[in-house]
Amino acid sequence: MKTFRIATALFAVSLVVIAFLWLRSCTKGDHIEIGAEEKIDPTPTQIQSIKAIGEWEFLSISIEELADTVRKGFFSDDELARIYYGTLRLGINMHHVEPGWLQTEGDSICLTLPKIGLLDREFIDEARSKPFFESGSWKPEDREALYRQAHNNMLAHGLTNENLSAAETNAREQITSLMRAMGYKRVSISFK
Amino acid sequence: MKKFFIFLLAAAFVAIGVLMCQGTVIQESSDDRGQETVYGSIDTLPMLVTQVRKCAKLYTAECRVHKIVTHDDVLRLKGSVLQRQFNIKLPLGDRRIAIPIDAKLKAWIDFSQFSEKNIERRGDRITIILPDPQVTMTSSKIDQKNVRQYVALARANFSDAEMSDYELQGRAAIIQDIPEMGIIETAQANAAKVLVPMLTEMGYQEDKITVAFRKQYSLEDIQSLLRMDN
Repeated sequence: MKTFRIATALFAVSLVVIAFLWLRSCTKGDHIEIGAEEKIDPTPTQIQSIKAIGEWEFLSISIEELADTVRKGFFSDDELARIYYGTLRLGINMHHVEPGWLQTEGDSICLTLPKIGLLDREFIDEARSKPFFESGSWKPEDREALYRQAHNNMLAHGLTNENLSAAETNAREQITSLMRAMGYKRVSISFK
Repeated sequence: MKKFFIFLLAAAFVAIGVLMCQGTVIQESSDDRGQETVYGSIDTLPMLVTQVRKCAKLYTAECRVHKIVTHDDVLRLKGSVLQRQFNIKLPLGDRRIAIPIDAKLKAWIDFSQFSEKNIERRGDRITIILPDPQVTMTSSKIDQKNVRQYVALARANFSDAEMSDYELQGRAAIIQDIPEMGIIETAQANAAKVLVPMLTEMGYQEDKITVAFRKQYSLEDIQSLLRMDN
């Protein structure tokens, strides 16, 4: 009788083990998750315009700017902070040269160039900007205001007299080098 | 019985030893935390990072592009049970967003390495061989006024981090489309339009000036001419 009980118990245990192993093999790799697709939908890129320009860049100032805004609340304040990236390009626009801007005589050349300035006022790569902190709900107008804040700060930090002067110095060096390569020994450059 | 007691005693010693070692580790980690708080007090975030670079680039072509980045954020219950795959759309879980992006691309020629080697003279004829043109995205702007989002009741609004991720993907998609835009060809043609008047002012006759590039660029070549900040 005792042997019969032991055999029954062993049989039951082996049945449980077999059932466990079978269930395990059946559910191998099983998983359940709730999620959403993170990729954007494929949409066309439209070319709005393509045009000829003639801009000489002599100094580029890459700026990383943290812009933030706070909205005071009754219980707590909401905050939004973003990091913007922009590159201010200083140089001359060749479309602004005046007639007779270039005069040659033998191996001498005299160039009268437009004033060094910011080549493009759109210099922030907003699509590359990074979120830093967000609490509360923010509207597109708030994000636009933050962009303007970063734009103004970058202009204030990048468009300085020192940088304009550095761009002018480099412009002189580069254009002199270019003209020497063209065969002119004496190069005179002036800015309007 | 005696052996059992010896075994118990040995096990107790081992357990105490392990606990003591754990205590030491906790002490070490608490020391580390103390150090971290010292470093944590330095706030470097408001720091402005500026990089100034001298260069000599002639921008000859500008291309304005527009892209509406869309994302359909549908919550789905996915997985497999008993090796059977399932993918069920959850009700009341839809979110959709459309972000219009305007970007400006410019093609330029680097003159910083330009030298006599780039100029060939034969009598009164002059040939200028220019370095390879390159393309960069000089700016991009999100049209915030026209951003549209539709969010189901059961879902939260799109966060700033999520929107930034979609914008970055949109930027990457614009960059991927550059070779088909024809900006390199326009840059090559316009380089002549900028340089030829300068050379005629120098005394060369227009029909005796040649502005040339190293080669005609294929779609694969153009990929290598893209200079994008990451």
